[in-house]
Amino acid sequence: MSSIISLKKVSFLYDRTLVLDNVSFDIEKGAFIGVIGPNGGGKTTLLKLILGFLKPSSGDIYYFDQHQNQNKRIKSISYVPQSLQFDKQFPISVLELVLEGRLFNLPWYGKFSKADKTAALQALDLVGLPDFQHRAFGTLSGGQAQRVLIARALASEPEVLILDEPTASVDSESEAEIYRILKKLQGKVTIIMVTHNLQAAIELVNQVICVKQTVTLFSPEAICEHFALGLYHAPLIKLRD
Amino acid sequence: MVSFLEALYTNSILLSAVIAGLASSVASGIIGSYVVVKRIVFISGSISHSVLSGIGFCLWLERAKGIAWVSPLQGALIAGILSALLIGWMHLYHRQREDSIIAALWSIGMATGVLFISQTPGFNVELTNFLIGNILWVTPTDLAVLFALDIVIVLTVLCCHKRFLIICFDEEQAKIQGLHVHALYLLLLVLIAVTIVLLIQVVGIILVMTMLTIPAAIANIFSSRLSHIMWIAVFLSALFCFSGTALAYYIDWPGGATIALLAGLAYVVSLLRLF
Repeated sequence: MSSIISLKKVSFLYDRTLVLDNVSFDIEKGAFIGVIGPNGGGKTTLLKLILGFLKPSSGDIYYFDQHQNQNKRIKSISYVPQSLQFDKQFPISVLELVLEGRLFNLPWYGKFSKADKTAALQALDLVGLPDFQHRAFGTLSGGQAQRVLIARALASEPEVLILDEPTASVDSESEAEIYRILKKLQGKVTIIMVTHNLQAAIELVNQVICVKQTVTLFSPEAICEHFALGLYHAPLIKLRD
Repeated sequence: MVSFLEALYTNSILLSAVIAGLASSVASGIIGSYVVVKRIVFISGSISHSVLSGIGFCLWLERAKGIAWVSPLQGALIAGILSALLIGWMHLYHRQREDSIIAALWSIGMATGVLFISQTPGFNVELTNFLIGNILWVTPTDLAVLFALDIVIVLTVLCCHKRFLIICFDEEQAKIQGLHVHALYLLLLVLIAVTIVLLIQVVGIILVMTMLTIPAAIANIFSSRLSHIMWIAVFLSALFCFSGTALAYYIDWPGGATIALLAGLAYVVSLLRLF
């Protein structure tokens, strides 16, 4: 039991091209999963399927033992996109953006409660940006913007946090800060993170999913063995072929 | 300036023109801000031009067929809302050729309108009035409808602003939060259509885009919060309408074009400030 997300024989075709082929795996509650694989290997497609933005061509996805189609809102799943995809000129303050994570709770007349604001401010505090609430989102650095997006996801009080390359467009200092935040969350929240930098993330991650049309899972022990033997990079090299 | 204010006091037509301008400023400032930040100016242009089909059809029914209860304003509202829904549906489900479809709707709507108006007595005057606007032409019923639509727009935005904000900024997040993304997007387009109909009374179809985009675009230079941009845009829009009508009164220019030119000039000046 305690599997929070299950994929059963999931395949996905995009314009008759097979992107994912017969993918099955379970994600346990509290796990920290690293998703790796070559560009175009299907990492983003896998995330979008889990988030419900795409529907599988065949196979089934279950959240908390409930079929995806029965679950209207993907309760308790939060998503952190890459900060680069946003319009830098869009007029939105940091607090407004983090409050977006509380929209599921917004009453019809459109005014957030005090509890919602408190949750948003606590989330900003957790990512180390407590004094940024009135700043315009477009004026933040890449690392700060990414942390604000993490705060928005945390404001939803999720059970599962899905991150798409959170360290892709940030300097090394911000990268360390983001890993520090994720480390704080480890165990309390189930985390699925797409990353190119497995070497830095490896000490956090306790399971690795390699995506290249099919999916290969590595148990924590296997990763440790690879790591200890200095072979940890082998699957990466193989996947780049 | 005194004589314009005196004329306002004595001339009820001029007064209702100014009131119509101010009433439409509320809607254009608020809704125009969404148009600018979501970058859907082209979509709005298409809606505003396809509105002419409804105007032409209703004018034809009224003048050529003698059906007294239809009015161009009704036709404009119905055509505007229908084309907004059509464009929205295209955007949501058939995105491949979206811009071509928007352009097609733009020209088909205008052509239909021109055809109906050509079959209506007084062709040239009517067509010019709707294309470049004739603010001195607003009836008391029009004013009442303008105010009612203003109230609808303000109340809807008060309830839905935070939802519209996320629809404009991040549709994926809106989906995760369980919002009805498609319905909200269509509602926003319908509000844009209603605002366009309000503005056509003031500046005409060709100049609608000026009033919908320029006040919000200027406001965006000075503020980085959408709600503040809306307030500034409403103020600027009212300012352009009032001063444009006054200027037109003194130098005997067409009101709509004067308002649009003033707004355009202000935009150029505020852009220069950026460099």
